[in-house]
Amino acid sequence: MARLLVVEDNKDLAELLAKGLQGAGFTVDSIATAADAEHVLATNRYALVVLDLGLPDGDGSMVLRALRTRQDSTPVLILTARGGIQDRVKGLGEGADDYLAKPFAFEELVARIHALLRRPGEILGRSFKVGNVTFDTVGRQVFVDDAPEMLSARELAVLELLMRRSGRVVPKAHVEDHLYGLSGEVRSNAVEVCVHRLRKQLADVGATIHIHTVRGVGYLISEERP
Amino acid sequence: MIPRFHSILGRIAALHVLAFGAAAIAVLMATYVLLNSTAASFENQTLRAHADTIASYLSRGPDGRWTLNLPADLRTFYAHGFGGFAYAVIDANGRVISSSLRGQGAISREARDSGSAQYFSRTKGKASYTGASIPEHVGGATVRIEVAQDLEHPDVIFDDIVANFLRRVVWFTIPIMLLLLVADIVIVRRALRPVIEASDMARSIGPERMNLRLRSRNLPLEVRPLVDAFNAALDRLEQGFRQQREFTADAAHELRTPLTVLRTRLDTFPDKSAVRDLLRDIDAMSHVVNQLLDVAELEGVVVNPAETAELGTVCAEVAALVAPIAVGQGKEVALIQGQSPVRVRGNAAMLFQAVRNLVENAIEHTPVGTTVEIVVGEDGKVCVVDEGPGVPPDERDLIFRRFWRRDRTRTNGSGLGLSIVARIAEAHGGSIRVEYAPAGGAAFTLSLLPAINPSRL
Repeated sequence: MARLLVVEDNKDLAELLAKGLQGAGFTVDSIATAADAEHVLATNRYALVVLDLGLPDGDGSMVLRALRTRQDSTPVLILTARGGIQDRVKGLGEGADDYLAKPFAFEELVARIHALLRRPGEILGRSFKVGNVTFDTVGRQVFVDDAPEMLSARELAVLELLMRRSGRVVPKAHVEDHLYGLSGEVRSNAVEVCVHRLRKQLADVGATIHIHTVRGVGYLISEERP
Repeated sequence: MIPRFHSILGRIAALHVLAFGAAAIAVLMATYVLLNSTAASFENQTLRAHADTIASYLSRGPDGRWTLNLPADLRTFYAHGFGGFAYAVIDANGRVISSSLRGQGAISREARDSGSAQYFSRTKGKASYTGASIPEHVGGATVRIEVAQDLEHPDVIFDDIVANFLRRVVWFTIPIMLLLLVADIVIVRRALRPVIEASDMARSIGPERMNLRLRSRNLPLEVRPLVDAFNAALDRLEQGFRQQREFTADAAHELRTPLTVLRTRLDTFPDKSAVRDLLRDIDAMSHVVNQLLDVAELEGVVVNPAETAELGTVCAEVAALVAPIAVGQGKEVALIQGQSPVRVRGNAAMLFQAVRNLVENAIEHTPVGTTVEIVVGEDGKVCVVDEGPGVPPDERDLIFRRFWRRDRTRTNGSGLGLSIVARIAEAHGGSIRVEYAPAGGAAFTLSLLPAINPSRL
């Protein structure tokens, strides 16, 4: 079970985050000051740090810098309430792995933590589900309403990539790279062809997910509205 | 009328020319007068010496007859008019006793009654001469001896000396004046060099380099108060900037923290269906708070002129961010751009926010089942086209105003999104306008300045 450190000075929020993250299957330690955070991080190992930037005894970015100076690569997800338009890109530049502006949706925080831990399947068992489609990462098998569906290796690869980032746009170049890693040669329209076939097959068996094309950008899987 | 000079050098040079000119004229006039009077008294002395010489050869016989017995050389001298001299001896009754003139006449026509010497000058046709009438006492009687000198005679040099002197002095004065002006230029240039350096320094001070101050070392004392006052003004300005930034950041923290607590509390609430409406309200409120904070942040923002952004990348990020929202509403987002990157002057984060607001606005107004297109032009323009009702011409200026909403009863949106776009466009030296799209929807065009080729900087 992944152990997280939450550095947040607002007592209510720290408690709510701890409770919520525990509910999502994490072990959580809470710390309220930058000094305590530096002390705790120097002596303990965490799977990930959720770091608030506005702390009573200093800026959270100092904690981040101290961590990176020690060559500690523990993933850090920054939370900030102060950030303006121009600060939104700064956190990532200073060695943070991700950045979430307050107020945020709790689901979004959990999704980002999963993405940073690079073990999305592990937390939810070894499979993940969007709508009535389940992807079994171990058996490399797709089920629609519990009925197994036969897909080619390419189709499986694309579907897995999109389902892992369900609700978010996956850039087309990213999908192409993924296919390239699989077969070594990708024709210019290989992704389009593959997505087209996937859509048709999913629709034929009554899947409630849909692969949207965001023209000029990439693809997006979403659950169809009932 | 004194012309107004804008440069210190101009003023100094002009005053120097005036003062020098006046001094030169005064000196020349004084010199002329002095030289003239010296020459005149010298001439008079010469005339008197001639009269005395002539008188010494004058004698009176017992019968009262006057005899002038000039030696041969003097007779020749006067007869040939050497040196342009002429004489006439006149007795007390006005009779001419002797004269070097051909007509044996007097030089001066006027009767001379005065007992003292008289000097005169005459111009007769082309000739001008100066003369003296000197009373001489010879043998107990008084005669007048008139002596005149023709000034046009080549042996006469007094007046030529004066005239030549003046001409030469003028030629001598002009180089001195030019030298003075060159000295002026050198002095002013040297004195103002630290001022020019300070100006260059001042030019490089911007919102990103607020900590710079002008050095008052090496500056002329006269300019130092200006520089000190400028530095003090910068201190106040920097403090103002910092206070505004801190206030915005503090306000952001104070507003967002309770919203985050509330939002997380609802998010972790066991019964999701009970809180759905509350979550939507909190999202709307968070949206308004974020936009208000954006407005406050943009109030004093100045874009670093050296910063550039790639418009295609910015728009792709916006499309990726908002596409799930559009898809959730049954709408679509498409990005259309050419092959080559489009580099514009500006801050990527601010441009991102501007394009995002445009696209979110378009998604809100485009009907279900339609697509919002983001078109990146190679000329540094982004066009966001929807298929909604479009913006009628009489509202095209209003929609970029703060808090303007067509329908005030609608609670979604803050009426700030487009005003933020307008402010960001303005801060980037660009523009935003809206027209009808060919298909009838709204077409917003954000125009930005193409980045200057770095090789030309």
